[in-house]
Amino acid sequence: MIKIKNVSKHFANETAIDYSDITFEKGKSYMLLGASGCGKSTLLNMIAGILSPETGTIEIAGEDMTNKSQKEKDKFRIQKIGYIFQDFKLIPEMTVMDNISILRLEKVDISGIDKVLDALGILDKKNKKVKHLSGGEKQRVAIARAIVKKPEIILADEPTGNLNFAIGEAVIKQLMEVSKDKTLIAVTHDERLGKYFDHIIDMNQVTGGRRDV
Amino acid sequence: MFKFAFKNMAIKKAKIVLIVISIVISACVGILAYNISEQVDSGFKTTAAYYDIIIGPSGSSTQLAMNTMFFTDKPLGTISYEYVEQLQKDTRVNKVVPFTMGDSYNGAKIVGTTADFLEGKELREGVMYSEKFECVIGSAVAEKYSLSLGSTLVTSHGLTEGGHAHEGNPLTVVGILDETKTAYDNVIFTPCETVWATHSHSDVESEEAQEVLDDEHGETADEHTHTDEDAHSHQESSDTREEHGEVCAILVKSKSFNAYSQLSAEYGENSKLLVINPSEVLREVLENVDMSTQIVYILCIIILIMNIFIISVITLLNMYDSKKEIALMRLIGIGMNKINFVYIIQNGIIGFISTILAFICSRICLALMGGYVASMGIVLDTAKIYPLEIAIMAVVFVISVLPTVVCTLNMSKKDGINE
Repeated sequence: MIKIKNVSKHFANETAIDYSDITFEKGKSYMLLGASGCGKSTLLNMIAGILSPETGTIEIAGEDMTNKSQKEKDKFRIQKIGYIFQDFKLIPEMTVMDNISILRLEKVDISGIDKVLDALGILDKKNKKVKHLSGGEKQRVAIARAIVKKPEIILADEPTGNLNFAIGEAVIKQLMEVSKDKTLIAVTHDERLGKYFDHIIDMNQVTGGRRDV
Repeated sequence: MFKFAFKNMAIKKAKIVLIVISIVISACVGILAYNISEQVDSGFKTTAAYYDIIIGPSGSSTQLAMNTMFFTDKPLGTISYEYVEQLQKDTRVNKVVPFTMGDSYNGAKIVGTTADFLEGKELREGVMYSEKFECVIGSAVAEKYSLSLGSTLVTSHGLTEGGHAHEGNPLTVVGILDETKTAYDNVIFTPCETVWATHSHSDVESEEAQEVLDDEHGETADEHTHTDEDAHSHQESSDTREEHGEVCAILVKSKSFNAYSQLSAEYGENSKLLVINPSEVLREVLENVDMSTQIVYILCIIILIMNIFIISVITLLNMYDSKKEIALMRLIGIGMNKINFVYIIQNGIIGFISTILAFICSRICLALMGGYVASMGIVLDTAKIYPLEIAIMAVVFVISVLPTVVCTLNMSKKDGINE
C-alpha cells in the first residue's frame, strides 16, 4: 500500500504543487489523468524516490520513504519498483539484452527475461540494438526491464504516449497481464484506456494545479 | 561490472579510439622528450668518462674530443709517435691508446689504433686484428657493404668518398663487431701500422707518379736523376714511417687523479700539444648548449602541462558525453558507487591502454631515432626507463581516471530526471 499524505513539491521556477492525500492499494491498477503540469509525473518520481517532497510523507508498505537517504531510496527503487519512463530511458546503441542487463550491476535477478520478452512478443529482438527497434518495441523493452525483476510496484509514465491507439492498447493489455497482484500506477492522457484500470484518478482535482511560491 | 564496462566501451569504439590516440600522442611526446634529453646527456658523459686525458696537436678541444670519442669532424693534425712511447713507459699511466684517422672506405672512416681501443666491445664474428692490413669492421659497415670475414677493402685517401684509392694495400676483414648502435658501428678499425704503411706506400707511389709526370714534361736527367741510391733512400724512408708514423691523438687512462693532474700539466706545457680532459670538454659543450638544454626542458614541462590539460579535458568531455547514460542508470536505481565504479573501470582501461601504448610508441620512436643519434656516438637504449617516465605514465593514468570521479560526483548531486 502506498500512502501520500500532505505532500507538496517545490520547483526551481518558484511554483509548487500541493497534493491531497491519496492511497494506492496493493494489487490494484490506477490511471492518473490530468492536464500537463498538474503533477502526475512528479508524483510518480516522488513515489520512486527520484524526487523528494518538501513537505508531507510518502509511505510504502508502512515505511516512510521521505526519511530515507538517497542510497536507500535507490536500493528500494531497484528492488521493489519497476519504472517505465515516458521516453523509455534506454541506451540506443546497446542491445535489448544489454539494456536489461544493466540491472545486474545491482545484482538484480533477471533470469526470467526470456519468458518476459516472449510474453511481450519481442524475444526475437533480444540481441537487436535498441536504435533499430520501432517505438512500440522500445516501449515493450522498457516494460520488460521494469517487470523482469518482479517488482511490487509498477510506475508507468505515459506508457502509450509515443504509440498509436492500437499499439498503445496492446501495450496496456500486456502491462495489465504482467502486473497482476502488483500495484500499477500509470500516467496517461488517453481516457479511452481507462477501461483497463481499476481506478481512474483525476490529478487536476488532487493537486489543483501549480501555485506560485 | 567489467562486462558492462566493456560493452559500454564497445558501443563507443570510434570515440574511444580517438581518445586513446589523443592520450597516446600527448603522453608519448612527454615520455620521449624526457627520455631522449636524459639519454643524450648521460650518453655524452658516459662515453667521455673512460679516458681522462686526450693528447693531440694544438687546436680546438671540442674537435679533438668529438673526433676521438665519436669519430666526427676531422682530426686536428698529427703528433709524433714518440709521445705514445713516452707515455707507455710512464708508470703513472694505466693505458695508452694511439689514434689515427685519415682514410675511408666508401665514406666509412678508418681508425688506426690498438686493440685496447675496442676493449669492452664484443666481436660478432672473427677475431681481433693482430697484423698489419687486417681490420675489424663495425656491424653497420658489414651490413651496408655486404662484407664478411675474409673480404678485402680498398681504402681511399681522405675521410670522404672519392679520394685517391690505396689499391696496393687492401685491408682484410678478420672480425666484425657486434652491433653497438653507436658511431663504432660505422667505423673500420685497423692497427696504426696499416695506416702508416698505406700512407708511406702511397707517398712513394705519389712521388713516382710525380716523377713520371715531370718526365713527361721534359724534365732532363740532369735536373732529376733516378739512381739506385735514391731508390734505396725511398725504401728506407718508407720503412721508417711504417715503423713509427704519426698519430692524430693519444688516449690516456691515468692511474690516479694525481697522475692525471701531473700528466696534464707536463704535456700541457708543450705548445705543440693540446691536452684535454674529454669529460670536461663535453661538459663545456653541454654547458655551451645549456640554453638549448634549458629550452628543451622548458618545452618538456610545457608539453607535460599541456598533456595533463588535454587528457583531463578529453576525459571530462567523454564523461559529460556519458551523462545521459549515468542519469539513466540513476533513474533505474543503480547506486552512484556502482556507476562510479563502472566509469572508473572504463576510464581506467582507457588510461591503462593509452599509457602502455604511449610507452610502446615512445620506445618505437627511440629505436627509430637511435640510428640518427648513433652518429653522435650515443646509444638510445629502448630498455632504459627513468623514474620520471614512470611518474609521467602514472600521472597520465591518474588524470585519465580522476576526472571520472569528479564528474560522477558532480552528477550525483543532481537528481538526473532532467538529463
